[in-house]
Amino acid sequence: MPAREPPMTETPPNVTVEASQGAVHLEVDPSIYPLEAIYGAAYVFIDRCYVFLYRPREGAIRITLSTKAAEPGEAALAALVGEFSNELLSCAWRRQITEENRTLIEAVTSQALAGAMGPPSLDDLADFDFSDEGFEDPLGIAQSWEEKHGRKAPRGGEGGEGQSEGGTP
Amino acid sequence: MSVDLRALKLDPSAPAFFRWRQVGDNVVITNFEGNFLILSEDEFRAFAEGRVEPASDLHRRLDEGNFLRATYDVDRAAERYARRKSFLNAGVNLGILVVTLRCNETCIYCHASRANMDAVHTDMTPEIAEKGVDLLLQTTSEFLTIEFQGGEPLVNFPVVKRVIEYAKAQNEKIGKRLEFTMVSNLALMDEEKLAYLMANKVQICTSIDGPEKLHNAQRKLPTMDAHQQAVRWIHRINQEYEAAGLDPTLYHVEALLTTTRDTLPLWKEVVDTYVRLGCRALFLRPIDPFGFAERTRQRVEYPRAEYLAYYRRSVDYMIELNRQGVEILERFAAIFLTKILRGEDPNFLDVRSPAGTGIGQMAINYDGTIFTCDEGRMLHEMGDDTFFLGHVDTHRYRQLVGHETVRAAVVASNLDGQPDCVNCAYSPYCGTIPATNHKTSGSIFGRMRESDVCAVHKGIQDYLFQKLATADAETRQILERWTTQRPREHFVQGPGEGPGES
Repeated sequence: MPAREPPMTETPPNVTVEASQGAVHLEVDPSIYPLEAIYGAAYVFIDRCYVFLYRPREGAIRITLSTKAAEPGEAALAALVGEFSNELLSCAWRRQITEENRTLIEAVTSQALAGAMGPPSLDDLADFDFSDEGFEDPLGIAQSWEEKHGRKAPRGGEGGEGQSEGGTP
Repeated sequence: MSVDLRALKLDPSAPAFFRWRQVGDNVVITNFEGNFLILSEDEFRAFAEGRVEPASDLHRRLDEGNFLRATYDVDRAAERYARRKSFLNAGVNLGILVVTLRCNETCIYCHASRANMDAVHTDMTPEIAEKGVDLLLQTTSEFLTIEFQGGEPLVNFPVVKRVIEYAKAQNEKIGKRLEFTMVSNLALMDEEKLAYLMANKVQICTSIDGPEKLHNAQRKLPTMDAHQQAVRWIHRINQEYEAAGLDPTLYHVEALLTTTRDTLPLWKEVVDTYVRLGCRALFLRPIDPFGFAERTRQRVEYPRAEYLAYYRRSVDYMIELNRQGVEILERFAAIFLTKILRGEDPNFLDVRSPAGTGIGQMAINYDGTIFTCDEGRMLHEMGDDTFFLGHVDTHRYRQLVGHETVRAAVVASNLDGQPDCVNCAYSPYCGTIPATNHKTSGSIFGRMRESDVCAVHKGIQDYLFQKLATADAETRQILERWTTQRPREHFVQGPGEGPGES
């Protein structure tokens, strides 16, 4: 982690530092930072902090980073906020870039993976699990007529077509 | 002077898509397919404002580089882009086998987290080695390098031999172009082992941290003569190459440098050491944040601005030596210049987009566990299994390459989705390493503006473009010569080679 970075010189208005609790609170506007970006940035910190997300009111999301370190100083907590803010901006912008460049990223990713994986071998195919339900079919589109509607009763006696044990042509 | 964008009257209808970066008094522009031009500030203003005279030399240069919207050649761009990304179809071409973690040397920055010589439980067994070879030979790549690493691979030499013989035998049916490389400190080399390695065409690489005093202070043998041992064997191995009739300018022991804080003031001594050893290449690698380097960072780390000053001094000196007829190149410069000047990618797995993590390389640990890359394996030794993919007993090649971690790493290291990189003029030539990003910023994407790797890559390319902007004909020729890759065909083995006899 970039622990060598100098701490922020002043606390921004949307940040509250509770040094005694080893926690820092940060309020962000979800119209600036999409929720996906907040999740992405928050997740990066879960090895160092307990992270809580809370909506105190409409138009605000409050993030609490409660550090796992024994006695974090105020400077360390401020640095945590700074790093979180940078990660949040990074996630928000990455989300936008990914949308804009989606086609290119998908094409390169597909080619890279397909080129490296190659076609499946016979062993790969032999291990393929065909027993799973392939897909949900609530309307029964993949079912045969007989499965869906039942078999017609044969005229004039037992035994349907193909099940006759004898008879004459 | 620097270009003030606010003062420009930009005309978006004239230039095709481009990125730019101020380098000294000039402006470097690059486009989607990686063409570049170095413009004066006045030329850049005229270009950005759509004021370039159609009959001018600047117009001709811009047109040739495909920088003009009116004449933009999509087919040419697609062809250049495909050529630059030809590695996408290549598959895994580097398989790292950690045949043991045991090592006879103790390095202050050991990235591999070496084990003591009595830790025999960290030796790879022949069974695991064979399964590892079977797995690697399933690669879609026609070409495969099997690299022996450690620890010190010579500690577990019987398994090295088993791998070579088994791989060659299996390859009789598969028919790949196969190469073996060993990364060794050479202290445990002897004539018998050398004869075997020569007979089986194993390329030998070692580590040299510069002059003797520095090397011995950073890489410690109980006898305190790590440098002397390495140097002795470098000369001995080079003798063998010559005796085999191989061109010594191409076939010689390659050495790797790890730059620590103590290396920085010794830039000239480092270059001189490499030249004296007969090396034709020097890789000025900065220290990585893995293994023991994490614990010793207070002693070995340094600001990257200091590294870049050291880099510039070293390469300036190497260029000067080249002018005097000494052939020595810097490896980072060669990688970037090949991309910049030749429009090709030398497929260096850590400097490409997407990175080679899992799709270009795979690392198999002594116990059969498999990782996306060597850095992923180093993180495992530090207790972080983010880049763990599977085990030779249970996983097949396609499962590993298609693993969700590999997919994530491929997406994360694609610079077209990376903040900062999308606007960076050096994007067509650059790359990022998911494992390093994960270690330094907690996410495989990283944050480029805070990344030491980004700072180094940008700084080196700034230096190279400055050189290209101001180079006289001789310097330009030297830099272009550094992009020439002469394949070492002697080390490449196809089917029918048979076991080498020592």
